[in-house]
Amino acid sequence: MAAMEGVTMAGAQDQPPKVVERLNPAVQQQLNLDSVKTRAISLFKAISRILEEFDVIARTNAVPKWQYVLGQFSMVNLELYNIVEDIKNVSKAFVVHPKNVNAENATILPVMLSSKLLPEIEVEDNVKREQLLHGMQILPVAAQIEKLKTRIDMIGAACESAEKIIADARKAYFGTRQGPTLLPTVDKVQAAKIQEQENLLRSAVNHGEGLRMPGDQRQVTSSLPMHLVDVLATNDTTQTFPDSSGMYQKGTPPLLTTAGNNSQGSLLQVSGAQFGRAAASPSGATGSTSFDNTTASPLQYANSPRSGANIMNMPSPQQQQPQQLQQHQQQQRQKMMQQQLLNQQQLRGSSMPSLGQSQLPQLHDMTSQAQQKFQSQMQGQHHVQFSQPLSAQQLQGRQLASSAMHMGQNQLNQGNQLNRQLNQFSSPANSAIFNAAQTTPASQMIPNMSAMMPSQSILPRMQFGISGGNRTLPAPSLSDQMYNMGAANAGGMMPIQQQQQQQQQQQQGAFGNMSQNTPQNIQSNMLPMQNTSQNHPNFQQQRQQNQQ
Amino acid sequence: MECVVQGIIETKHVEALEILLQGLCGVHRESLRVHELCLKSVPNLGLVSSEIRLLCDLEQPEPTWTVRHVGGALRGAGADQISVLVRNMMESKVSKNALRLFYALGYKLDHELLRVGFTFQFHRGAQITVTVSSVNKMLKLHSTDEAVPVTPGIQLVEVTAPASSENYTEVVAAMSSFCEYLAPLLHLSKPGVSTGVVPTAAAAAASLMSDGGGTAL
Repeated sequence: MAAMEGVTMAGAQDQPPKVVERLNPAVQQQLNLDSVKTRAISLFKAISRILEEFDVIARTNAVPKWQYVLGQFSMVNLELYNIVEDIKNVSKAFVVHPKNVNAENATILPVMLSSKLLPEIEVEDNVKREQLLHGMQILPVAAQIEKLKTRIDMIGAACESAEKIIADARKAYFGTRQGPTLLPTVDKVQAAKIQEQENLLRSAVNHGEGLRMPGDQRQVTSSLPMHLVDVLATNDTTQTFPDSSGMYQKGTPPLLTTAGNNSQGSLLQVSGAQFGRAAASPSGATGSTSFDNTTASPLQYANSPRSGANIMNMPSPQQQQPQQLQQHQQQQRQKMMQQQLLNQQQLRGSSMPSLGQSQLPQLHDMTSQAQQKFQSQMQGQHHVQFSQPLSAQQLQGRQLASSAMHMGQNQLNQGNQLNRQLNQFSSPANSAIFNAAQTTPASQMIPNMSAMMPSQSILPRMQFGISGGNRTLPAPSLSDQMYNMGAANAGGMMPIQQQQQQQQQQQQGAFGNMSQNTPQNIQSNMLPMQNTSQNHPNFQQQRQQNQQ
Repeated sequence: MECVVQGIIETKHVEALEILLQGLCGVHRESLRVHELCLKSVPNLGLVSSEIRLLCDLEQPEPTWTVRHVGGALRGAGADQISVLVRNMMESKVSKNALRLFYALGYKLDHELLRVGFTFQFHRGAQITVTVSSVNKMLKLHSTDEAVPVTPGIQLVEVTAPASSENYTEVVAAMSSFCEYLAPLLHLSKPGVSTGVVPTAAAAAASLMSDGGGTAL
């Protein structure tokens, strides 16, 4: 037995060993192809058995025993299930694309499957092969491999040395250029000096520290630069604006004895006259004279019990009813506006409240006669001042917020007529006018206004003005709003045609500077101002906020 | 509303900063010469004194005036976290009579200064304006021709961008990212916060100058 096996073995080995392609043993194990094969064979056997059974039944025409046949089918089903499980493992190792042969890939598949290169690629391949294996193709493959390996090693070595050289050069380059690579530090002494200078600079820019000049140096002694020459009229040098208090005193010695409203009116007149001096009008003289001529009527109001009572009465709005709130707010505003407008230090204490109260009742007394007088005065005055009809509008329209502004501005323009106008704005009159203006075009307003105004459009303007006034005076933010009124009124001192625009601008400006509120507040304030009813809640809210 | 940061730079590095800004902004510099008058209403006459600034641009052939009011800054925890000051600001062109008007209204001149320098205006996420200027004071009233610098060795750098209450976060982000580009030369902060000079300023300026020596500005 053993000899026979040895013979057969020897016999088999006589043939040259066949090279059998086998899969990688690991893959082979993974695929477990043997089990797949056995399952396939058993499945084949089961199916063939069934087929034989049916064959016999068909030949003998017997009735098939269905239960038995179904049992066979279930066997086949089970085998199929097992084989599919095994196939899954096999198929994991392979990817087949395309999965099916159909019309679209039937023609291309042979090309895809062929291992022969396309002709041009084949030519390229040959060329490269020739280059690579120049002179080596006759050698056996092993020798070729060896030679290629040495070639690769040489190239690798060359690359490494090149990299090294580049790195060395880089280090040398940067080393000489930058010196030590420590972070530069600032010398401490120098840092302190710089810090000091920086504080100086920042405080100068942001707060004006170190830039203020003492009063005695504030006289304009040397020649003004070009841009200021015509701005600050140099023929006013004796009455420079910072010293306006002195100017005011000059102009109104006879009026200082009054309760103050008249004097303020006259002072403002004088300043208004000076203001208008650039236009070279004699309005200063006329202003004072006209004032003197008509001082009688303001004086009545100045000593009226109304004004007297109101002088001391500056309650906080929170203590008042809303109606009174508006009145007192008006008064407060007037007071503040006056204080800001009137640069009269000696008159501040006594005259402010009375000015607000007493001059307001006079505002309603504006007549066409007064209007004409205004116009005559106006012609000679600076264009920045209010026009005549404009002043009346403004007086009535801006009672609340800017009554003092009106006073100031109107007093700039005219003398006594302004006082009369302003005196119309006493507290009862104010509330009446205000309420009337708010609700309807009140009859008391219309006659006055129609007499003065060229058009009916004054009414909406007035309402705007009032509402704008309402809005603009919460106390803590008063400064901003004062500015607004001032700035906007500066723009507003234009011919009447542009008044509506300016009032709107004024209001918008007022909204923009409503207070130092958060952006949300500013947004809410920027709601359209056309609706006066909205203004009251805004205003009251602001007052509450600002007084907290 | 505007977003603003300020910083300082030594005068010797201003040219390098200009080169850097030229490269970053892509626009040409505009010279700046502004006479700024700060007017205040007298404080004891109102609850709060108000301050406005009148700016006269002397660079134009015809001087143009602007009135500017700076309001309060954004407050709160959120405001503390952002590195940029967001504050209310209103500005408007006015005629040259504005000064007389404000005097007549009762404002007094509080201080005045003259800014001389240059400015870059460009759009980079927001409309940003960078102003580098030396702040000069006048020894005599209104004598802009005889102005001397408040701090001769240091100039002020201000970066501003207009914003509204809806978009100020984007504007703040745009400004912060721009300011990072200037980090080698200077450090920018909110106006009240002092920064000092940056230690790398000298090296950065040197490299900018050496590279930019050939370019014509």
